[in-house]
Amino acid sequence: MAVTVKPPAARTPVRRVGFSSRLARWDVKVSPYLYISPFFILFAIVGLFPLIYTGWVSLHNWNLIGGNLGFSGTENFTFVLSQPYFWNAVGNTFSIFLISAVPQIILAIGIAAVLDANLRAKTFWRMGVLVPYVVAPVAVGLIFGNVFADQSGAINGLLTSIGLDPVPWHSNTLASHVAIATMVDFRWTGYNALIFLAAMQAVPRDMYEAAILDGASRWRQFISVTVPMLRPTIIFVVITATIGGLQIFDEPRVFDAYGLGGADRQWQTLTMYIWELGWGQRNLGRASAVAWLLFVIIVLIAALNFLITRRIASQGGRK
Amino acid sequence: MTSVPMVEQTAGKRAAESARRRRDRGGAQAPRPARVRGRKTGGFNRRPGFVTYGLLGAVVLGSALPILWSVLVASHDSTAIVKGVPLIPGGNFFANAATVLDTIPFWKALGNSILVSTVTAASVVIFSSLAGFAFAKLRFRGSKALLVFVVATMAVPTQLGVIPLFIVMSKLGWTGTMGAVIIPGLVTAFGVFWMTQYLQDALPDELIEAVRMDGANMWQAFWHVALPAARPAAAMLALFTFVATWTNFFWPFIVLNAQNPTLPVALQQLQSARFVDYSVVLAGVVLSTIPLLIVFAVAGRHLVAGIMQGAVKG
Amino acid sequence: MSTKPTSAGRARRGPALAASVAAAALLLTACGGGDEGASEGGDGQVTLSISTFNEWGYEELLEEYQEANPNIKIVHDKKATSNNARDNLNTKLAAGSGLSDIEGIEVDWLPELKQYPDQFADLASPEVEGRWLDWKVEDATTEDGKLIGYGTDVGPEAICYRSDLFAEAGLPTDREEVAALLEGDWDHYFEIGEQFTAKSDAAWYDSAMSAYQGMINQVENAYEENDGTVIATENPEVKDIYNQVLENSVDKDLSAHLQLWSDDYEAGFQSGAFATTFCPGWMLGSIEGNAAGVEGWDIANVFPGGGGNWGGSYLTVPTQGKNQEEAIKLAQWLTAPEQQIKAFASKGNFPSQVEAYEMEELTGSTNEFFNDAPVGQIFADRAEAVSVTPFKGQNYFAINDSMQQALDRVDVLKSDDPDSSWQKFVTGVEALQ
Repeated sequence: MAVTVKPPAARTPVRRVGFSSRLARWDVKVSPYLYISPFFILFAIVGLFPLIYTGWVSLHNWNLIGGNLGFSGTENFTFVLSQPYFWNAVGNTFSIFLISAVPQIILAIGIAAVLDANLRAKTFWRMGVLVPYVVAPVAVGLIFGNVFADQSGAINGLLTSIGLDPVPWHSNTLASHVAIATMVDFRWTGYNALIFLAAMQAVPRDMYEAAILDGASRWRQFISVTVPMLRPTIIFVVITATIGGLQIFDEPRVFDAYGLGGADRQWQTLTMYIWELGWGQRNLGRASAVAWLLFVIIVLIAALNFLITRRIASQGGRK
Repeated sequence: MTSVPMVEQTAGKRAAESARRRRDRGGAQAPRPARVRGRKTGGFNRRPGFVTYGLLGAVVLGSALPILWSVLVASHDSTAIVKGVPLIPGGNFFANAATVLDTIPFWKALGNSILVSTVTAASVVIFSSLAGFAFAKLRFRGSKALLVFVVATMAVPTQLGVIPLFIVMSKLGWTGTMGAVIIPGLVTAFGVFWMTQYLQDALPDELIEAVRMDGANMWQAFWHVALPAARPAAAMLALFTFVATWTNFFWPFIVLNAQNPTLPVALQQLQSARFVDYSVVLAGVVLSTIPLLIVFAVAGRHLVAGIMQGAVKG
Repeated sequence: MSTKPTSAGRARRGPALAASVAAAALLLTACGGGDEGASEGGDGQVTLSISTFNEWGYEELLEEYQEANPNIKIVHDKKATSNNARDNLNTKLAAGSGLSDIEGIEVDWLPELKQYPDQFADLASPEVEGRWLDWKVEDATTEDGKLIGYGTDVGPEAICYRSDLFAEAGLPTDREEVAALLEGDWDHYFEIGEQFTAKSDAAWYDSAMSAYQGMINQVENAYEENDGTVIATENPEVKDIYNQVLENSVDKDLSAHLQLWSDDYEAGFQSGAFATTFCPGWMLGSIEGNAAGVEGWDIANVFPGGGGNWGGSYLTVPTQGKNQEEAIKLAQWLTAPEQQIKAFASKGNFPSQVEAYEMEELTGSTNEFFNDAPVGQIFADRAEAVSVTPFKGQNYFAINDSMQQALDRVDVLKSDDPDSSWQKFVTGVEALQ
């Protein structure tokens, strides 16, 4: 079987220019910076400017419509740190994140392992698990609203029909977190499963053959071949899921008609708190302070995650 | 290119592998080889059993439920969802779809969505691959720190970026245009991070060294070696980016207007009523999801093929 | 600002492709009709944009206006919910650009916008003098006498009730008789409720909050003094109403304990969870939709404690706009009684224009779903009955939201008793300062 490396498009003859060695050295030195520059140029405009602007606003008494009402130093920070709703939002954010992320990642690896088997109609199955990712939020919100309604919802209807007590999905804090985590997992599990699948596909098959010759069971193969080889991908998924999970906004916002996180803020997350301060109370200064605190929290947690995951994922060294 | 033997070595195994799989596929219908106690003999390319298919079937069915439900509601009238949705499709879908087309500039929004999603997906793939290649395979001062910085940018809460970003777009005079939606998404930290992670393992250093010895410059190394190696990851990134852009609402809603919307922005107009007629809203949802399913069908094939064959075209 | 093609440009294809992606992106920004709001065509063409939310019944009116004024093209931007519209409005006020030529706003946002009169054109003009109910105009007038909004609709409240549930509980069913039965103060309304619930499985009304908003809207200075001083937490009137509502809703169990607009609330219409609700004109459409297939809804020309208004909207002309003159003309035309009557006929938004109350189209209008009730006449009477104009300062709606949550904690969640929930309310109000 003759295999050639082909560029995706028709080949262009490579022009041979007589390189001077200096040009080649310059090529090696400068190319990497050129290649990463598009990201950084764009980030400067659409990421860095907003970040600095937000930092600036957080140090001022700043009304959303009225604008800057004077320098206030760290007052916004000390104020929000003294607010029970801030700490409540921190707790909710972590709670929803953990309840959703842990099962999600385990499930995603499991689904990926099944998809990695020698299935019929591969494309169908693979695309099938990604379907939740394309469903419009309005449909998902409607359905889950119907499923988790306290009195008229499908789950509680089922529970009462078999003689059990209904679950207070909206009034009980933990129950509301479970419901929201379910919505989050519905959307993202298939997505992460495909990321894991891509990594599994890249595991050289002869490693499995060697394991089989050693008499390893399927489970054993999975634990000692697949998981170590997935190390970089697990790190990747854990970090992106952490960053995304701590910024969770859409799902808890549609969990009731008001979008504030419940009458007792049972499921208000940090991004929702930012929204309430900035757009509800029009206090952009305080909202920016919370945004910066959230930014710092996420960076810390992501770094911590990175260290832990690197530990756990044993030695699946680079090729 | 002298690198071909190199590739052939790695590719040979894979090619052989896929050939074996193809042979298996033509095999008997029985999901298992008819051997008693043949539990381990099949290895990883043994046909999975009914249990596996059952589990997968349940997952996929659960995944598809909202779409099926949307189709169901969209085929009835406004009272269906209030009184409880019947399990038999009604005959009202085309009437609802017609209402959608009358109420919102659907075709214009569809065109905009296709444009925005396609350009964004293409540009994210190209620029992320470039940056990923640099971070994964090239040595340069500050690469570690810069990569950490890239990942850290993902932690900036999007909600607060809205006002400064709108100020920027408005100064540039882009508000209301597709540019305001496309530009911020041209390259994403997620994409750069993903491509870096993938290329680290999928692209052997020797391969790059080989083409460099051959006199290729950096750009050629990227274009002829890194990009083909990144194909499966690139296909996936393209699909994810396309879908994410297609369903994005938060920013387009702020920066676009009714005249020139993307699909989600146009669809929200269907919900403006004291009592929302969800049969029409979901008809809109169904119409706007169809193009995505087509993209799925097309990309899915490439995705599977890409993953299966790794860095090489068979 | 472009993302530049990223190579020294030696191998041709790659950079060319990268560049073409970037170029395509840039080109897109050039074409694509980036006119936010106003654009002047060559032949004196003016494009006006107008933003509304929910349902204002403007579609045909805007067509009509464009036919009468061939040089005007109107773009109508409908936001799904008032929250969406408010977020959008606030964001663009903050950014200093991007608003439509005419922005529809809800009465709830008026107090916060009145603090920034520079952001809105002064709409006062002799032509519209005396067009609206006095309190409607007063609400939109700033301290220095600027009028920032033209009134569209109002929400005078009546009582909507389920005549079949009334019959089962031995109460009268005819709307005149029901009005006579419920005539009186809030105590009286709650008493009848006790009689009703003694004989019925259904609750008397949907939630503590809806009863509360009816009561608090009859207090002149509930949360703030006229100079803006916040008194919500020490005002005995507020505390009394709070206690009265919760006692009747929770201890006497007159409420169905539903959070307004929730899935359970909407399902409550189908299951017959409650027998009465407080309904302004704009509520009828949502009751009709949610109660599809349910027989027996009717409207009584009565409201406990006199009259009350809930909701209503305005048209404003932001000073960001480039076509303020034309925009004001359109806003004037849209809020004229003749036009508002048409919006009422198509979507039920009850006019705030006094002349409209005399018009046959309004007084003669009935609503089929509500047992052919003469809704036009009923709401016209209810609008006349509004005697108190509650003062709403810049903190009114934030405080009212905190109150709503305080009531829901006791009535819906049952997670707090009235005292502990009140304490949280106090904390919430203090955090607003």
